[in-house]
Amino acid sequence: MAEGYYDYPVVKRPVWTWEVPAYFWLGGMAAGAYVTASLAQNFGSADDRRVAGGGYYVAAAALVPCAPLLVADLGRPDRFHHMLRIFKPLSPMNLGAWTLTSFTPLAFARAASHAASTGLLRGPLGALARLVPTRLAELAGGVLGLTLAGYSGVLLAATNVPLWARSKLLGGLFMASALASGSAAVTLQAGRGGVPDATLHRLTTIESAASAGEMAILTGYLVQSGKTARPLTTGRFSAPFWLGAVGAGMLLPLLLHRVAGRRHGRALRSLSSAAALCTIAGSLALRWSIFEAGKVSSEDQAASFELSGGAGR
Amino acid sequence: MIDAYRRMMNIEQPPAPKAARGFFTDTSLCIGCKACEVACKQWNQLPADGFAMTGNSYDNTGHLGATTWRHVQFIEQAKANGSGQDQRWLMMSDVCKHCANAACLEACPTGALVRTEYGTVYVQQDICNGCGFCVPACPFGVIDRTPKTGHFEAGTAHKCTLCYDRLKDDMTPACAKSCPTASIQFGEIDELRANARRRLGELQARGESKARLYGMPDGQEAAEVGPLHAFFLLLDEPKTYNLPEVPRLPRKTMAERYGWSAAVGIGFALVGALVFGRRG
Ligand code: SF4
Ligand code: SF4
Repeated sequence: MAEGYYDYPVVKRPVWTWEVPAYFWLGGMAAGAYVTASLAQNFGSADDRRVAGGGYYVAAAALVPCAPLLVADLGRPDRFHHMLRIFKPLSPMNLGAWTLTSFTPLAFARAASHAASTGLLRGPLGALARLVPTRLAELAGGVLGLTLAGYSGVLLAATNVPLWARSKLLGGLFMASALASGSAAVTLQAGRGGVPDATLHRLTTIESAASAGEMAILTGYLVQSGKTARPLTTGRFSAPFWLGAVGAGMLLPLLLHRVAGRRHGRALRSLSSAAALCTIAGSLALRWSIFEAGKVSSEDQAASFELSGGAGR
Repeated sequence: MIDAYRRMMNIEQPPAPKAARGFFTDTSLCIGCKACEVACKQWNQLPADGFAMTGNSYDNTGHLGATTWRHVQFIEQAKANGSGQDQRWLMMSDVCKHCANAACLEACPTGALVRTEYGTVYVQQDICNGCGFCVPACPFGVIDRTPKTGHFEAGTAHKCTLCYDRLKDDMTPACAKSCPTASIQFGEIDELRANARRRLGELQARGESKARLYGMPDGQEAAEVGPLHAFFLLLDEPKTYNLPEVPRLPRKTMAERYGWSAAVGIGFALVGALVFGRRG
C-alpha cells in the first residue's frame, strides 16, 4: 500500500521529448570541441594547432541543429524569441538560451576565421572573417562553451524529478560527458589526415582524463542517488545506460586509449578513432537514458517523498 | 528617458500591490460535492477531461492539471490505518498553492509566470512559449502544459489563476463562491490565517489530535517555498494527501550544482593546458 494518496505521483511528468537530450548531446559536443580546440590553439605546439581548426569546424557543425531542436520542443515554437525578452540567469533555461544565442555566432565566426586563414573562404566574406579577433573569440567562446556544456545537467536537476534532483552531481556529469565527447570529436577529425602521432597521443590523453573524470563523477552520482537511481540502473533504460553510456561510452574508450598510447601510425589512428566514436555514442546514451528514466522517476511517489522528506537534507 | 522608452515599447507600469489574497481550504468541512471543480471549469471555460473511472473511491478526477485547477481527493481510512475511528472519509479540495517562493515562477525563462498585485502566481498566456520547465519544477505537481495539438490554448502552461479576472472586479473566486460548506474560504491572507488558527484550536479541543495546518509561515513546509497563499487545514499527515513534508525549491541547491559543474570544466581546461603545453 502506498504511503500517499493512492499510488498517484507527487510531481508532474516532464513534457519534454527526444529533442532535449539530442540538443544536450550536440550542444555539449560542440562546446567540448571548441574548448579543446582553443586549448590546442593557445597552449599547443605548431602541430597541435593544426587540429584546432578542425575542432572549430566540428563545433560549428554540431551547433547547426541545436537551436532548431530547442525550438521544436517548445509548446509554441512560434514564440521561441520570448526566451530572450528578459535576462534571468536564475532560470537555467533562460541562461541556456542566452548562452546558445551568443555562443553559436561566436563559434561560426571562429570557424570562418580559420577557413579564411587557410584560403578556404575567399572574397568579401573571407576579408570579413579575417577581422575576427581570434584570441578574444577563443577566450570568450571558451567561457561560453563551458557554460553551455555545464548548464544542461543543472537545468534537469533544478526540478523536483527525484532521479535528476537527488544528487548534486548531474551538472558535473553532463559537463564531463560534453568535454569527453567534444575532445573525441576533435580526435576523430584529426585522425583523418596528416596529424603527427605526438599530437594524437596528447588528444587521447585529454580524452582519457575526461572519461575518467566522467566515470568518477558518475559513481558519485549513483551513490548519492541511492534507491532513487533505480529507474536508470534497472528496468527499461538499464541496457542503454550500462552497455551504452558506461560500457561503450567510458570503459571501452579508456581501454582503447591505453592500448593506443603505445601504438603509432595507422594502428594509433584506427584505435583513437574507434575510441572517439564510442565516446560520442556513449555521450548520447548517457543523456538519453538519464532523460527518459527521469520521466519514470517523476511517477515514483516514494522517491518523491524521500526527496522532499523533512529529515536529513 | 526611461519613461519615453516605456511609452515607445508600450510597457505598462505594473499595478500597485494590494493586500495579499488567498485561499484557506478547511478540509474538515469538505463534503466532497465537487462544486468547486465544476464552478472552476465553468468560470474558466476549461474543457472536460473525459469520463474515466479510476476505481479510487469517488475520485475520478485524479490530478490537478492544465485543465483541472481544483481537484477533490477522497481518502478512505479504516481503523487499521490508525485513524482512531472505525471508518472515516477525508476529503480535500486541492489547488495551486500560490507559493510565496514559487518554483514555477523562478524556473520560467520567459517571464510568463508573474506575481500579481494580490500576491498570487499567474501565467500570462500571451507570453508563455510552452518551454515546459515549470512543469517538473513545481514541488506539488500542479502546473502542466496542454498538448501541442489540442483545442484548448494549445502548447502553453496552465494552472489556477486564483480567478485573477474576478479579483480585478472585487469578486470572490468561483470555487470559494460555490463551496456550500465554507470549506474553501477566500480573503486577505492575514485574516484567513487567524481564522485557521482559531479553527485548529476548536478541532483540537474536540479531540482531533492529528489536525494540523499546512502552509502557514511557521510550518516546516514553508522552509523553502515560503508560506503558501493557498493553505490547508488537514486532518492527517501531509503525505496522506500526497503533500510533500518539506516541498523543495530548486534554487536552494543550484549554486552547489553549478559549482560541481564548473569544477569539472575548470579541471578539464587545466589538464588540457598542461597536456598541450608539455612538449617534447
Ligand atoms: S503550487 Fe506549483 S504551480 Fe502553484 S505557485 Fe507553487 S510552484 Fe507554482
Ligand atoms: S512553459 Fe510557459 S510558464 Fe512554464 S516556464 Fe515555460 S514559458 Fe514559463
